[in-house]
Amino acid sequence: MEKETARSKIDRYLPYLLVLPTFAFVLLFTVWPTLSAFYRSFFRQRLNIAKFRIPTFIGLGNYANIFSDPHFHRVFANTLLYIIGTVPISILLGFLFAMLVNRKVRNVGLARLAFFHTTILPMVSAATVWMFFFTPGYGLFNTALVALGYDGPQNWTGSPNLALLAVMIVAIWKNAGYYMIFYLAGLQNLPTSLYEAVGLDGASWWQTIWYLTLPLLRRTTLFITTIAFIDSFRTIDDIFGLTSGGPSEASTVLLYYLWQKRFEQLDIGFSSALTVILILLLLVFTITNFRVSEKGEEDV
Amino acid sequence: MTLRKLSALALLVLLMTGMLAACAPEEAAGPVTIQIYYPVAVDAPIAAIFDGYIEKFQEENPSITVEAVYSGGYGDVKTAIQTTIDGGGEPPALAVLLATDLYDLVNAGYILSLDDYIAADEDGEAYMQDFIASFMENSYYDGKTWSIPFQRSAVLMYYNADLFAEAGLEPPDSWAAWGEAGQALTQKDGDEVTRWGIEFPSGWPYWLFQPLAIGNGQNIIGEGDAEVYFDDPKVIEAVQFYIDLSEKYGAMAAGVQSIWGQAPTDLASGQTAMIVHSSGSLNTLLEQADFEVGVMALPGKEAGTYASVPGGGNLYLFDKIDPAKQDAAWKFIRFLSEPERAADFSIQSGYFASCKGAYETEAMKTYMAAHPQVAQARAALDVAGAEFSVQNLGEVRNIFHNYLQQAYNGEMSPAEAMAAAQAEAEVALKDFK
Repeated sequence: MEKETARSKIDRYLPYLLVLPTFAFVLLFTVWPTLSAFYRSFFRQRLNIAKFRIPTFIGLGNYANIFSDPHFHRVFANTLLYIIGTVPISILLGFLFAMLVNRKVRNVGLARLAFFHTTILPMVSAATVWMFFFTPGYGLFNTALVALGYDGPQNWTGSPNLALLAVMIVAIWKNAGYYMIFYLAGLQNLPTSLYEAVGLDGASWWQTIWYLTLPLLRRTTLFITTIAFIDSFRTIDDIFGLTSGGPSEASTVLLYYLWQKRFEQLDIGFSSALTVILILLLLVFTITNFRVSEKGEEDV
Repeated sequence: MTLRKLSALALLVLLMTGMLAACAPEEAAGPVTIQIYYPVAVDAPIAAIFDGYIEKFQEENPSITVEAVYSGGYGDVKTAIQTTIDGGGEPPALAVLLATDLYDLVNAGYILSLDDYIAADEDGEAYMQDFIASFMENSYYDGKTWSIPFQRSAVLMYYNADLFAEAGLEPPDSWAAWGEAGQALTQKDGDEVTRWGIEFPSGWPYWLFQPLAIGNGQNIIGEGDAEVYFDDPKVIEAVQFYIDLSEKYGAMAAGVQSIWGQAPTDLASGQTAMIVHSSGSLNTLLEQADFEVGVMALPGKEAGTYASVPGGGNLYLFDKIDPAKQDAAWKFIRFLSEPERAADFSIQSGYFASCKGAYETEAMKTYMAAHPQVAQARAALDVAGAEFSVQNLGEVRNIFHNYLQQAYNGEMSPAEAMAAAQAEAEVALKDFK
């Protein structure tokens, strides 16, 4: 009898004990910095200006400064363009790659590796390699384009019209293989009996994908969309490697701007407010994404 | 709260690394351990060289232990230190940071003035006098001395001397001669350029641009800590000259060239006849090139004038740490800048030696005799102006970069761009006037 109580006691507390380390980490490295950024965003504090070193409360002053800052407008537009230009394409490519390598043919492992290897490369090394690809004149990327009949401008990382596109190309190249892995896992979990059934019904390849595969992979797509969106906001290391946000801010996105404000310009208040905005954006997107998709599930 | 957070953090770190057992209790007097944060910014085995110096120093000073922390480039090291201090942690005793970081570091209250140490040192004055003058330009503020030059570089023009000889050209001594030489050495196959006359990186443009402005008689900064001269007619003319090199002379690619990493290789492999680059690339070039590499300061506008600008990092001593550590750190600074060591560091790393004494050592004389380019590079320092450093540097430099690149890319005329840069910079500097 006594033994029973002891066990039930353990049963009661064990789960809490098990999540404790994770909980502590989340608290320390996510919740605490978020709260601290929220708090600091109401103060003016600039470490590099002696008289503004001590924080003074300025209410929503930092937010007002952000929304009236022409650089922020530019940076925000760049970020939106970057997201629109990279997220759908890399997800679509990830799906196509997964379809391609989800077969029982020889050397499929090699093909999977080929699509996936970009993910394993550290972003900074990838960016360095791409700097060479992008070199005007003899760079691999330009040489390949010219071979395909391209005769446009080649100064990918130096031209204001191309720099953001260059960063986007690298991001798509890097991420598509990553998303492929999730789709591949999803595809391999799909019941083969369903495919046999639609095969007997005479469904075309396209119909099979559109009416069977995609709806069944809805959860995978939701997951990938969410991480792709978050990833695209987290873009920063490739920008360090490729363009330093230039030329003339043409490829500066939100997180890079935040870094510049915090660590180059030592503006604690402004960068804290930017952090809050960034977190709110991500939160709103993630919640909406889940809501919309859950709603879709009820409809089905 | 901070204390609790810190102790929790510390405990976590200890648990994670399993170092709990290795932790000895701190001793009150006697042995002292100092940390130095050190950025590795060039392609040389700097960490290995530096560890050798530390070993030697510890032999001479058995009571001092020096721990070097290598954590990336200048930006990473600065970020690491800022994060440590702002989070309530103890900064390292010493760090090598950019010479231009001076105002930010003083204003944030991070660093200690070296005046007391210099005054207390019996040959402190002679020690300070020995540093090459242009390396000391960013060490003074508010009537005090704040940093000691250490791994220093400068902007240079490298050229393929064999190509110059073949074409019967002399190294350029003016803007016009430079443009014409570039034009003459540019090779085309139909419409396609097979060799540029000049490659002039501008992805992070202020540093390489400065010698153009200085070569026209007007630096982009003034004597004061909040003065900029972006819209000076001579500076505007210098911007125009950069554009002219491609537009008028056809000697280089149009627009912003983000080719910092490739430029030295391009010169060595014959893709270009001249490059503008850091003196830090000299050793690599001498190794890679199978032709005679010429080295000089950048030609100025008028015939016979030349210009350069220094760059690189200085040693900073941190405030708000145990004075015993600061004393040990000062000892280490003195050790690092002994002429023999400065000479050795220069020979091994490719950086300049920061003091004149180093150039008088036997080792350096022998090395310069074997590599005349080292002396040519050293001569550029005599025509060097001050590197771009003002209050609120991060913001002002961004402003300058934005507009300079707009001018380079033809989005604005040089005059418009520089006027806009001046106006924005004045706003960013108003709290310092």
